[in-house]
Amino acid sequence: MSDKVTISIKRSDPSKGEAPHFVDYEVPTQEGMVVLDAVHYIENNIDPTLSVRWNCKAARCGSCSAEVNGLPRLMCKTRVDKMGSKISIEPMRAYPVVKDLVTNVSHNWEIAKRIPPFTPKPGLPKPWKMAAIDITRSKEFRTCIECFLCQDVCHVIREHESNYLGPKHMVKVAALDMHPLDSIDRAGFLHTDGGVGFCNITKCCQNVCPEGIHITDNAIIPEKERVVNEFYDPIGILLHRRKKK
Amino acid sequence: MMENKRRLSFISELVEPNWRFWSLVVILLLSAGALFLYPVSEYQGYVDPFYSPTVLVLPFIALFRLSCYAYRKDYHRHVFRHPMACLNDERMDSSKRKYTGETGFFALNNFHRYFFYIGLAILPFFYYDFYTSLVYESGFFIFRVGSILLLVNALLLTLWTISCHAFRHLIGGSVDCYSCLSHGSGVKKLFNGQSLLNRYHEQFAFVSLLVVVAVDLYIRALMAGWPVDFTFFKIAI
Ligand code: SF4
Ligand code: SF4
Ligand code: FES
Repeated sequence: MSDKVTISIKRSDPSKGEAPHFVDYEVPTQEGMVVLDAVHYIENNIDPTLSVRWNCKAARCGSCSAEVNGLPRLMCKTRVDKMGSKISIEPMRAYPVVKDLVTNVSHNWEIAKRIPPFTPKPGLPKPWKMAAIDITRSKEFRTCIECFLCQDVCHVIREHESNYLGPKHMVKVAALDMHPLDSIDRAGFLHTDGGVGFCNITKCCQNVCPEGIHITDNAIIPEKERVVNEFYDPIGILLHRRKKK
Repeated sequence: MMENKRRLSFISELVEPNWRFWSLVVILLLSAGALFLYPVSEYQGYVDPFYSPTVLVLPFIALFRLSCYAYRKDYHRHVFRHPMACLNDERMDSSKRKYTGETGFFALNNFHRYFFYIGLAILPFFYYDFYTSLVYESGFFIFRVGSILLLVNALLLTLWTISCHAFRHLIGGSVDCYSCLSHGSGVKKLFNGQSLLNRYHEQFAFVSLLVVVAVDLYIRALMAGWPVDFTFFKIAI
């Protein structure tokens, strides 16, 4: 590996009317360096006006999401030596830029509000108890660090207008639907307001999730099958009409 | 000038190396041609998999394949290019084209479950074909290369079918509270076991189709007199 790498960052400052443009920086490399280290080097040694959001530098907080060489990644989890001698870094395209690499992801809180919340079965004795066998499936979904990389890579979210919630929120819906103490079924919501039909199961979300959540296989497709149960399967509707209301 | 450029880029996209999808297209066209022009249903006790149990079920099998989540992913990506790749779309090619996902015509894919039922019902016939190939000469039990191929074919079709996402839902995926069922831990075990297979569903979908076509070609080769069969043993019964 060479001892220098060119980092090309898409910079902009909408508040000052500064249009997006790439700026190249030469950064000396070190053993085990990650892309976020390189960005910090630039911030500390070349241009302190560069803005970047980060927090844990351990792939736990989900703050340092960006598009590295065109693919959404956590900058703190992406090794420089794996990315070639010229690395491009851009802010997530699905969201409005605040400055440089910092985006405003608050739209996700609006989406989260649309999801029918956890509704416990009535009359459950307290304290609530859950069997281990019932939580293994939704446990996978609870590892989500809300980095929004999956939302960013989803072509439905970033290239089209629709009411689709997006993969990260599908993970949330699946976690609620598969909760053993929850009493409502969100298939109806997904089929209409949730826009799940817009997902064409092309699995980009699953490919980029830093937590390795099988978003499409374990959350979206099972939810699509629940929609099938309710809206497309007369035999299923007759035979085992879901007990949930 | 601009138009020309656009056409060129379309052609280069068409031939972009995507071996899995385009090899499938070629294979399907070739085998469809062969099926209609030179039908072969059985030769020396080997039943062609396209004819098992009868060529009349082929349309349903085709619909089972077409509505399978694995193939859906492939054609949404490589035929309709929504999206072409997960990398960001520099040319904004996708956003300029209308997209309805699986809400319009492709909402029909929601009927996958029915085709799955048909696929499941047909599976035993492939094992029966294997059996037939062993005993086709009356009074003898004969074990040949072709029988192994028929068995491999049957096994792969089984793996593809039982790793189906619709099946996953039906055998326990729809349950939210396993401990609430009297036989819940059994259901959960079944679901977990199926989930292991389900991880490889795309691979099974692809390989099983390749093998169906390979077996078809093998039987054709035999008919053409190629020396590709070998008898391991033959015993009188
Ligand atoms: S699988 Fe669905 S949610 Fe995931 S990226 Fe593709 S279209 Fe978006
Ligand atoms: S599901 Fe994965 S990619 Fe999506 S927000 Fe959660 S951790 Fe990030
Ligand atoms: S999902 Fe592929 S066969 Fe059902």
